[in-house]
Amino acid sequence: MDKLAMIQRAEELVGTIEDLPTIPVVATQVLLLLDQPEVKVEDVADLMLTDQVMTARVMKMVNSPIFKPGHDITSLRLALVYLGLKHIRELALTTSLINAFDADTGDFQISAFWEHSFGVGMVSKIIAEKIGYPDLEKAYIGGIIHDLGVVFLSQYQREDFQAVLDRIKDKPIKLVDAEAELLGTTHCEIGLCMARKWNFPEVYCELISQHHTPAEATIDPVLCAIVNLSDLFCGVRELNYGGREWVSFNLSDEAAWQILRNEAPNLANLDIERFCYELDDAIPDVKALVRSIFTSHEQAGD
Amino acid sequence: MSISDSDFIQLRDFIYNICGMYFHTTKKYFLESRLSRRMEITGTKTHLEYYQFLKSPRGSEELKYLMDEITTNETYFFRNVPQLTALETKLLPEIVETKNKMGFRKLRIWSAGSSSGEEAYTMSMMLLEKRSTLLKDWIIEIVGTDINETVISQAKEGIYNAYSVRNIPDLYKRKYIKEENGKFLLSPEVKKFVTFNKLNLYDDSKMIFMKSFDFIFCANVLIYFDTASKSKVVQHFYNNLQPYGYFFVGQSESLHGVNDKFKTVHFPGGFTYKK
Repeated sequence: MDKLAMIQRAEELVGTIEDLPTIPVVATQVLLLLDQPEVKVEDVADLMLTDQVMTARVMKMVNSPIFKPGHDITSLRLALVYLGLKHIRELALTTSLINAFDADTGDFQISAFWEHSFGVGMVSKIIAEKIGYPDLEKAYIGGIIHDLGVVFLSQYQREDFQAVLDRIKDKPIKLVDAEAELLGTTHCEIGLCMARKWNFPEVYCELISQHHTPAEATIDPVLCAIVNLSDLFCGVRELNYGGREWVSFNLSDEAAWQILRNEAPNLANLDIERFCYELDDAIPDVKALVRSIFTSHEQAGD
Repeated sequence: MSISDSDFIQLRDFIYNICGMYFHTTKKYFLESRLSRRMEITGTKTHLEYYQFLKSPRGSEELKYLMDEITTNETYFFRNVPQLTALETKLLPEIVETKNKMGFRKLRIWSAGSSSGEEAYTMSMMLLEKRSTLLKDWIIEIVGTDINETVISQAKEGIYNAYSVRNIPDLYKRKYIKEENGKFLLSPEVKKFVTFNKLNLYDDSKMIFMKSFDFIFCANVLIYFDTASKSKVVQHFYNNLQPYGYFFVGQSESLHGVNDKFKTVHFPGGFTYKK
């Protein structure tokens, strides 16, 4: 299907929603502050502390097994020092996104969505490291936000999206193919429209739009390939929305694999089998992280 | 004795590098209990001491005993569910489509290291269920091979205990299994598709005649071979597979470093190898 037509359809759908969640002002301010030279941890901490929900979530996330601190981190300032300023951007953005989308709708379990998203974030970071991609944080954020369009569909197009899920249940049909057929657009274009509305940087807009078609990316095809591959691996290793989509792929046929191998020829020696098994071992950490985020949400009384 | 994280990782990496079997962290306690038995028998006092014994020249024999303990050396029906689901959902329909186009309506499956026959008969039951649909008028040949004649006679007999049949879905159990005095008997129609033969996977002169398979299964067998033998045997499997066929190893097994021609095809909960 024509990409432009699908984007147009997505714009129509996203445009009809008046109460589309917004990204909190604090998050935008934190991102702006971090862009300034010589920013101080104290300033960032002060700004973040004005948003209690964000603070609570950052504290939970930094103490989760995925970040593996040696001891409990008890203050936001310590958390920011421990993580380093680079990570604050990712935390500000992700905690805000979680804030925007934190409720189950119908059969759609939001925690399963976040497990997949954080899983893809984690695996993207690992792959980025393996191929020597210069910005690990970008790969991590990319993984976390790649499927934003899915939440939109599950919340604002519930019945139509359910029909898509029914169509692919236990069948080797790709979610994007069923979406294109039944909705005239996919979560990639929907996500793109949302990202544009929220003024995400272009590189993330492209990532969301092309995470299933990395060969068509022009700004950062390597980033799109990293997230595409992570998405595929998470889809077959229990970070797959509870098996909603029956994913299967021949690794050597994947465009993402070709892109990354061109980028880093040493990838040909990767022990793929062990990579999969180690991914299994990391799943409990990802699930614990998501659980901790939602616990902090309850504690904050939101 | 509880195993420390570092001892666990050391042992896990050793087993993975030598045998090609990965120990998931969730199985740490299982490994711990199996190790304690072997440590008692070998008279080693600590995990480190046992690990050093495994690495020593006398260790290769001990490694075989350890692998026996780890794999429990026992098999059962419908053992690898993700693999079977992938077969049903995608791999089998795909091969049927390819062969239909060629007008070649014959399916050949090999269970290598078939032991008492559970894997071969599982396939037989699954394919029987498709006799009136996907596999209408197809010829089905399932071959089980093992080096051990005792297990071959058991397989031919087709009589099982409750442990072996515990995972068979009710639908299949009702249709294809009969219980008699605490024993479970396979129906003749399940046995009809399957033949069992003695075969040594090292025997090149015999291996070259195992031709044209669509699916080959070899679970928990290669873990006992050294790398050179593994490579040789896997190359035979590669040659004996149809260009569109699939080669399966057991859960947690890996062919990394054994054969670089096979490509991995991934599905929920597992992967398989393709030419």
